[in-house]
Amino acid sequence: MPAPFTISESDNSSRTFKSGFAASIFESPVFVPSSDVLQAVPGFDTSSLVTLIWIAFFALTFLYQTRIQSYLALSEISRGLNKLKVMKDKARKDAIDYLVNVGKAPNDPTQRVDQFLDYVTIMPVDMDPNGLVGKVDHVVTINNDRVRAEVGALLNQNNPVTVSISENLLEVATSLNQIHKIVRHFYLLGKKTNSYFTLVQLQMLMPMIIQEADALLNATDSFKMGQPVGDGIGPVVVSRLMAGKDKRVIAKDTVMAVTEYKGRNLYVLKADGPMAYVGQPGVAIQKIVGEMGVKPSAIVMIDAALKLEGEKTGEIAEGVGAAIGGIGVEKFQIEEAATKAKVPLYAILVKQSLLEAITVMRKEIAEAADKVTQVLNRVIEEKTKEGDDVVVAGIGNTLGVAQ
Amino acid sequence: MMSPVPGPDKKTKLLVYTIEECPACGQKTKRAFAVGDYVTKEAAKCSKCGNSTRVSLVYAEGQKPSG
Repeated sequence: MPAPFTISESDNSSRTFKSGFAASIFESPVFVPSSDVLQAVPGFDTSSLVTLIWIAFFALTFLYQTRIQSYLALSEISRGLNKLKVMKDKARKDAIDYLVNVGKAPNDPTQRVDQFLDYVTIMPVDMDPNGLVGKVDHVVTINNDRVRAEVGALLNQNNPVTVSISENLLEVATSLNQIHKIVRHFYLLGKKTNSYFTLVQLQMLMPMIIQEADALLNATDSFKMGQPVGDGIGPVVVSRLMAGKDKRVIAKDTVMAVTEYKGRNLYVLKADGPMAYVGQPGVAIQKIVGEMGVKPSAIVMIDAALKLEGEKTGEIAEGVGAAIGGIGVEKFQIEEAATKAKVPLYAILVKQSLLEAITVMRKEIAEAADKVTQVLNRVIEEKTKEGDDVVVAGIGNTLGVAQ
Repeated sequence: MMSPVPGPDKKTKLLVYTIEECPACGQKTKRAFAVGDYVTKEAAKCSKCGNSTRVSLVYAEGQKPSG
């Protein structure tokens, strides 16, 4: 077998490469050093030249490593940023098209939508945490009311489903706009300051950011069609308990019905569907336990939960505690009401990814509804006795799920 | 109206279906989702017993592209 890089010393008059890659280069028509030329350079040795090139390469790599990495990071972030821009533009266009085509907006809503995308909600100061949840609730409620009023004013109709879908589409467009702005901020800041660590951190986060943005963009399709989303599994289960029962509005966008299961009185509640609402289950539970004077033996909450990688979609997990996401206001209210009344909180969770939670409900999740009902019945039977009152709350976006 | 949406792996297209269930005899019918469908909505007459059915589920199912 020939050596990869050998110099024949047999003939002193001409040094020739016998084989290997280097030989092919030196034998190519581009670089054909004649033996006379090589001989003319005093102390020339080809292997020394190659070694020198390698040393130079390693020295440059060592000295400019961070520069090279920064350049690569910048180029990758730039590609991601372009993707984010396309996504946010599409979400904005989708929202405008929906307002015009379905909402029958009488005037061109483009300018108003653009203003809407840059609206900010300023959270209250948290130096003194006393009463902070109430303040956050106040600010968030003002924001939600403002959004609904403005969307209602943009449309030429007051169909609550259309208004709620428009609100959700604008929220998606706003979120994507914010994501794009924040990523662009750190990209430009890193570029301006040549901050290697800023850029590398952003580069590492980009795949997750793109994934989340992609999930948000996909959600617009489900919203436009009014299809139930994965997050609506709790409302789906509860809607079955409410079927044929009298419903009453117990809190903003939230309905309740009273039913019976094996001698127990069930106070079942969910957001008012088929609108894309999440309701105010915290306020509703506070009212049931407080104003209505009900002394429940258990509060059972059914919600979607983000699965970890490797977990199966539609898997059911049981637990204790308030099963509700969001900013934390509703969770606080439910925990407060349950703690005051010393009522145990039970949770039934249906596992799903973020994409599955905000896009059209997958078969695996929908089919979990029957199993959740069985688990709910078992929890009620095990944890309460005949004659007891039980609160059952279906938590989540109730788009496409009436009652 | 069928509404294909991209699945999680991009290659899979999701088709959305509406399941109508008869509360009297439990007969289930699967059909393509139509805009305006929602869970608990009153649907067509049951093909088995003639009672009114209700939409019990709306969900998406993956369809691998053929070929």
